[in-house]
Amino acid sequence: MSRRVAVVGAGMTRFVRRAQETGKELSWIAARAALDSAGIGLDRVDAVCNGTAPDAFDGVHRKGDYLADGSGGFGKPYIRTYVGGGTGVFAPIQGWYTVASGMADVVLVVAEEKMSSCQPHPQGAFLTIFDNLIERPLGPNLLWIFALEMQRYMHAYGLDKRDIAAVAVKNKRNAADHPAALLGQSDISVDDVLASETLAWPVQRLDVSPISDGAAALVLASEDVAGSLTDLPVWIQGVGWNLDTTYWTNRDLVYPEYVENAARMAYEMAGVREPRKQIHIAEPYDPFDYKELHHLEGLMLFDRGKAPEAARDGVTARDGDLPCCPSGGLLGVGNPIAAAGLMKIAELFWQLRGEAGARQVPGTPERGVAQAWGDLMQVGTVMVMGSDGGPATTAANAHTPPREPRATPLDDPSFRSATGAIEEPLDAAYRWDTGRAMGRFLETLAEGRIAATTCSSCGRTLVPPRQFCERCFRPTDGWVDVAPLGKVETFSICHVSWDMRPLDVPQLPAVIRLDEASSGGFLHLLGEVDPDDVEIGMAVEAVWRPDSDREGSILDIAYFRPRDAATRVGDARG
Amino acid sequence: MRSVAGELPVAFRYTPGVGNTAFLEALRDRAVLLGSRCEHCDVTVVPARIFCERCFAELEANVECGPAGTLVSWTVARVDVDGANLASPATFGLVRLDGADSVFLHRLVGIDQPETGMRVEARFRDDRQGSILDLEGFGPAVA
Repeated sequence: MSRRVAVVGAGMTRFVRRAQETGKELSWIAARAALDSAGIGLDRVDAVCNGTAPDAFDGVHRKGDYLADGSGGFGKPYIRTYVGGGTGVFAPIQGWYTVASGMADVVLVVAEEKMSSCQPHPQGAFLTIFDNLIERPLGPNLLWIFALEMQRYMHAYGLDKRDIAAVAVKNKRNAADHPAALLGQSDISVDDVLASETLAWPVQRLDVSPISDGAAALVLASEDVAGSLTDLPVWIQGVGWNLDTTYWTNRDLVYPEYVENAARMAYEMAGVREPRKQIHIAEPYDPFDYKELHHLEGLMLFDRGKAPEAARDGVTARDGDLPCCPSGGLLGVGNPIAAAGLMKIAELFWQLRGEAGARQVPGTPERGVAQAWGDLMQVGTVMVMGSDGGPATTAANAHTPPREPRATPLDDPSFRSATGAIEEPLDAAYRWDTGRAMGRFLETLAEGRIAATTCSSCGRTLVPPRQFCERCFRPTDGWVDVAPLGKVETFSICHVSWDMRPLDVPQLPAVIRLDEASSGGFLHLLGEVDPDDVEIGMAVEAVWRPDSDREGSILDIAYFRPRDAATRVGDARG
Repeated sequence: MRSVAGELPVAFRYTPGVGNTAFLEALRDRAVLLGSRCEHCDVTVVPARIFCERCFAELEANVECGPAGTLVSWTVARVDVDGANLASPATFGLVRLDGADSVFLHRLVGIDQPETGMRVEARFRDDRQGSILDLEGFGPAVA
């Protein structure tokens, strides 16, 4: 039987575009604030759990080790956790099982990200999450994944973009009350969001959270120790995490089943049978406005497709029936990836103790849920937290959260003139082997064919082909050709390159579901079509490059075009 | 096609941070190596830091270390990061500056035969920019 674990302290830095402080220094500021709020020193800490996302953001290889001193890891058991964007909620899960297992009584959890280091844009570091063989040659942009998912979500339920934009408005308004926030704005409107620059339709500038630097920290304690530290422990009642397929184009883009799986795991542990009644406050992961809605549905707090109208009607407002992201979320407070997720746990801690100041939700919330999402956009990490009997708002508590969180913003001119500032390229190039299944797939493309593997156990025909079926975990049985015909599962009209420069001619990325493949879709571009004429469900066919130009590359398919000749126009892509 | 080539098209901007800024400005303006002392732990580290990693106390940049120190270890590099031979070997040393508990990595210059435990001294450049390269390296101790 595991031990009960309480959160007894929390702290964070300001979230800023670029901090003068190093990642180590940011980590220390947040960790020290958390220890101060728990009323203990580093000497009381038995073990340290660090969470930080890609090394390539800070530009430091083995960032976990690098951050160890600022995270309080000197001379202690220390481990870094990394599940991409899900890290900020997974790091405290790691802290939870370190205490629950009896290995430690007090654990310090620290999450940090310094994204401003990565130039010209952190998306450069994200490019390698795309498949190097069959996606990256298409010139992808991370925004594609979100735009394609958002479009599919909107299509499935006939959603109004105004209702989705209401999330960005709510969160940026909430963040106006957060002393650490980067993008709080009390007077922003839905019209402002809809008037912002279109990046990759339907994603517009104000639908997206900002690149940020920052850190956040928590102190966790076993039940025995928590009782001696505070009268207001907030218990970690349940934790869960779950992963969907790593082939993102094969996923259900409408509903995040992995979030539901993670939530079911956490709710069961917490004894939550009716989440809509038993969860009083939620901090779903909101790097994009539609993601908050997507995740609220995965957390089973709203019916599928119904979260947008709840946002529109104020149900998720701070004073609504189910306050969601009262902190201001990633959209408002900022998105230093791992730190942003942990900020959500800190917010629940403050809210459930009645310490959230101007952000305090009304009533007596007794239980909340926080969730983050990441890896190749397919991991869900969930934590359920609760107080014993609601916040004791009248209790004397000497350790209020920091009202003036630190971190020194440094704009571009200040950076360039700063003593010792350095800018240097990552001098590394890679060569990726095709492997066996993908190698054969590419060879058949050169012959003008699309090859798939089959799994007789689950009966699926798999594109992209693989040597093994990841569901049945057995070798695939053989190869078949599938017709180069499919339907548009979802698409985007992308106006920017990965480093956010405007494109002269918009790209039309799409997930194509091949008629004869059963694994889902795969990523390619549309051509010979007016962007305004593209529709989800449209029948398309591959347009092959001439025999002599094919070289065993995904680009041997030039693009997919409408099967209906009447819908085609001259290929504008040259 | 057996493999595809690609790159990670990024460059990094590193801010020196609060501690290193104090160190680099003292190096540039006064040709001194500035460290931080934690009274609680009785430890002095250089370059300066804003916190003690042992006890988490807030630290000031308040101790001038060196310029002389003791060579703790050394190596002679004969190849570059890609494995190609260097035109001439480069010698690097770890130096415990006088007054500091931590060791400091830099080049050894003008030392033909390094020996662990030998006394060395910082050689500052005249034209200093606020960079670790304002220090040419460590040479034989003058005194």
